[in-house]
Amino acid sequence: MNLALRDDFPILQRRVHGHQLVYLDNAATTQKPQVVIDAMSDYYTQSNANVHRSVHTLAGEATDGYESCRTRLKSWFNAERAIITSGTTEAINLVAHAWGRANLVEGDAIVLTEMEHHSDIVPWQMLAEERGVEVRYVPVLDDFTLDMDVYGASLDGAKLVCVVHTSNVLGVRNPVEDIIRLAHESGAKVLIDAAQGVPHDRIDFDAFGADFMAFSAHKMCGPTGIGALLVRPEIFEEMQPFMGGGDMIETVTTEGSTYQTNEHKFEAGTPRIAEAIGWDAAFGWMEALDLEHEHKRLLEIARYTARELRSLGMTVYGRHDDSDSAVVSFLHPTLHSEDMAHLLDAVGFAVRTGHHCAQPLLNRLGISSTVRASFYLYNTMDEAEAFIAQLKTILERFA
Amino acid sequence: MTYPAQLLELIEEFQDVESHMERLEMVFEMAEEVVALPVETWSDTTRIVGCQSEAHVNVSLDEGKVLMAGGADAQLVQGLMGILTIAINGSAPAQALLLSPQFAQEMGILNSLSPSRSNGFRNMFDKVMLEIRKLES
Repeated sequence: MNLALRDDFPILQRRVHGHQLVYLDNAATTQKPQVVIDAMSDYYTQSNANVHRSVHTLAGEATDGYESCRTRLKSWFNAERAIITSGTTEAINLVAHAWGRANLVEGDAIVLTEMEHHSDIVPWQMLAEERGVEVRYVPVLDDFTLDMDVYGASLDGAKLVCVVHTSNVLGVRNPVEDIIRLAHESGAKVLIDAAQGVPHDRIDFDAFGADFMAFSAHKMCGPTGIGALLVRPEIFEEMQPFMGGGDMIETVTTEGSTYQTNEHKFEAGTPRIAEAIGWDAAFGWMEALDLEHEHKRLLEIARYTARELRSLGMTVYGRHDDSDSAVVSFLHPTLHSEDMAHLLDAVGFAVRTGHHCAQPLLNRLGISSTVRASFYLYNTMDEAEAFIAQLKTILERFA
Repeated sequence: MTYPAQLLELIEEFQDVESHMERLEMVFEMAEEVVALPVETWSDTTRIVGCQSEAHVNVSLDEGKVLMAGGADAQLVQGLMGILTIAINGSAPAQALLLSPQFAQEMGILNSLSPSRSNGFRNMFDKVMLEIRKLES
């Protein structure tokens, strides 16, 4: 990797408990390059105003900044419709409310998988309860992949398929192209939760074929609190407004309201302006990178880490195939994951522990938590080697 | 706030240690202070909800004084339980209720005291205090 890239991230200079920070919690959120921090700071310093309303200079700058993010989303992902949301969770909930309520009735079925994040389970459970819709779950096999035979059989009578592109726990990238094709052949729409996919894979949404794709900025060097829902244009027309308020209307009278016909219809209220400007800057920063090359490099780091962890007696949950993400979930037979995370933090290593908001998957694996090290653009093999060396010391002392 | 003498002594002992790793090691050692709650009595009633580890506590009164028993599969959580044991066991309920969770931060062993899914100590502390309040009323 180009080590100068690390200089773009001021937080990487941070020391934690007297040790150099090694940030390995990227599947939870990534760090932000200086250009993102500057773009948000510049907006608040120079251009802060509300969008889509006033005619003054600042309002024009704010509106252009916000809409530039949408333009960037459309060009980055080759999508015709990009609704800006607070993140993946709101994007999925938006589909449940704006499309699901208008199109799903009692007796319909939604197909999920055991691999989903809670944000792609709970909204559907809530809708299912309200509408009498059946929810089916595709099992995860022992090799950490989806049971595609069961998936095929689950499609009978299904109206919607919701699948995670890449598991936040396992790093496994699902065969989403096959999943989309099979769903469409049986007449079901498809929502892809790409929160862990888009940071590693520059997806062409139009060619991809999904009807909806949800993701967040903060997993790809952008700010927290903002994400997007990409929607195929013909499906976009079927969606009904979910949240009412300012900005989403065309006219309002005491008799009723008419709505905007573009994405603003789903963006009621003052949106996340600074965050959109920051996200746009993150895309600009990432544009200069060869993401495919970086993905291969990170995967090598993940494979090395997984191999070394296994040699230390850990169980590793994942396979690290070429298309998988650089996420390594593991457990030690005796040292609890929470203990391990605290001990790693004491020497500057940031990892995640717990159920990773994927309890059905962990139940399937017969565990209640894992330690998760997840690598991103600024991580190096040296950091992975230091991580393994530190784990050895911890195990010698505490296991 | 003012802490019970035995806790104050412990806080000072922790504060004297510069290495965070050594402080955690000391917390691990505190696990031995916990009055064991037999695993076979662990139930939904004793479970510390929201804790990442499997952790259980039971609070009762022994001759009018607080008696906390517990156990956890994470050593650190059990160690924190041990510190809480030193702080409250043998105290009158009203006195135990005066304790603030702040002491764990003052000891330099926790990064955050905010209630959250990942904060086993805070969830444990809140549950113990709730149980004491119930016993008191």
